[in-house]
Amino acid sequence: MKLPRIIYGRRLSYADYIYNFFATISGLTIFNLEFFKQAFMPPYEVREVKKHMDELGVKTFGIVSVTGFIIGLVLAMQSQPVMQRFGASDFLPGMVSLSVVRELGPVITALIFAGRVSSGIGAELGSMRVTEQIDAMEVSAINPFKYLVVTRVIATTMILPVLTIYVIFIAIIGGYLAIIITEPMSFEYYRSSVIQSIEFGDFIPAVAKTFVFGYIVGLVGSYKGFTTEGGTEGVGRASTTSVVLSSLLILIFDMILVKISLWLWPTLG
Amino acid sequence: MVMADTRVVEILNLFKRFDELVVLDDISLNVNLGENLVVFGQSGSGKSVLLKCIIRLMKPDKGKIYINRNDVFKLSIKELNNIRKNIGFLFQGAALYDSMTVRENLSFPLKRHFPEMTIDQINGKIKTALENVSLEEAIDKMPSELSGGMKKRIGLARSIITDPALMLYDEPTTGLDPITSKEISELILTLQKKLNMTSIVVTHDLICAEIIADRAIFLRDSKIAFEGKIKDLTSSNDPFLKNFFSHELIKV
Repeated sequence: MKLPRIIYGRRLSYADYIYNFFATISGLTIFNLEFFKQAFMPPYEVREVKKHMDELGVKTFGIVSVTGFIIGLVLAMQSQPVMQRFGASDFLPGMVSLSVVRELGPVITALIFAGRVSSGIGAELGSMRVTEQIDAMEVSAINPFKYLVVTRVIATTMILPVLTIYVIFIAIIGGYLAIIITEPMSFEYYRSSVIQSIEFGDFIPAVAKTFVFGYIVGLVGSYKGFTTEGGTEGVGRASTTSVVLSSLLILIFDMILVKISLWLWPTLG
Repeated sequence: MVMADTRVVEILNLFKRFDELVVLDDISLNVNLGENLVVFGQSGSGKSVLLKCIIRLMKPDKGKIYINRNDVFKLSIKELNNIRKNIGFLFQGAALYDSMTVRENLSFPLKRHFPEMTIDQINGKIKTALENVSLEEAIDKMPSELSGGMKKRIGLARSIITDPALMLYDEPTTGLDPITSKEISELILTLQKKLNMTSIVVTHDLICAEIIADRAIFLRDSKIAFEGKIKDLTSSNDPFLKNFFSHELIKV
């Protein structure tokens, strides 16, 4: 696998920036193809995948719990006066749950995940690259791409949907707490309103797109880490650019995937 | 009577450049079975690049490298990996895996290449490797808990644990104090004798070279400027070599 080199330096020309843009796109494409080529070839590093899933789950559990709770809480707090003004308070549970399930839950979880995990993978693989640990693996006849990249990308792809479902659940609970602070509402009523307003067609495309977001987080972090050069400065750069690039790609792919899901399930519109 | 071919590594007309900078210019050399070759040169003279080309971590612009008569750059990854299993590489910074303990660092290549090995056999191998480098007590430590010299020793233990026939050392004593440096050099020599390995040692440490070398080459201006015995190298009348070794000779 030969990846195009990115030009680094303090004084880059506009031509260098344009070159770097296309070099990153082509590098990511090659990296992506290499992933699919190697992911289906034995040996399957199942233990490593499990280990990374455990680590990622533990690492992000706290932050996504807080985020999910606050999303639901703030959304309900902001919407409640408006809904009351239009006499539509009864629709509040449905509005909160639909917003959380269809967009806020998947995208915000993915962005938090990118900030926490993509930077971590970028920094970890980056420091392994600059301290020759990846070379050491290669000269020991162990495939570093398979062992380090494939396992991490599979782990991020598998764990993000799980975290998203959890965040959606927590956010809906948060929404309920925000409502009962100002007006009485039984949990039973809230629960049945939520269930009635969410259809399977809302839930499936929303969770399905988080597989893509998880894949982006793992792939971008690994690509940036794997191609790190320039010592500790390079490691820092890999970590930061991983977050920026994966967040940007998450938003771009969100736009594309929403359009595709509306095309596949026109009733969602 | 036909003489047996004892060449383990054969390098022919190797060229390597980075942009405008030529680092290896028409390098040809052989390393024979059981021999310890020391590669001298100033920092940035292409010594490490040469070593990385041998193991195909870098690709030269021109030239050929044969290991046991196999053209390294024509092998498939699978064939190359079969050859790499018989080669040990000690990196300048030891390159221990940060996220693994010493035990895991040592067992990692064993578990991958010898899946038939039992846990007891693996533990036995780890114990022997650590005894060889006199660091049995470090078995459950993380690399961050080790000193520079200890890291080098553990790196050496990891490189030899699969009993390689060929060892490549990239600056094995750089950054170490003279006593530790001498100990590591003696250790390399002991292991080489014990395991009957062929070695290529890249260094600019004369003490290390004097202990280890059967033969030495000196890289200067991207070419081999000298090839022969270490004694001849240090007693050379060439003003550059005299100047290079003068400081080291005073120490010796």
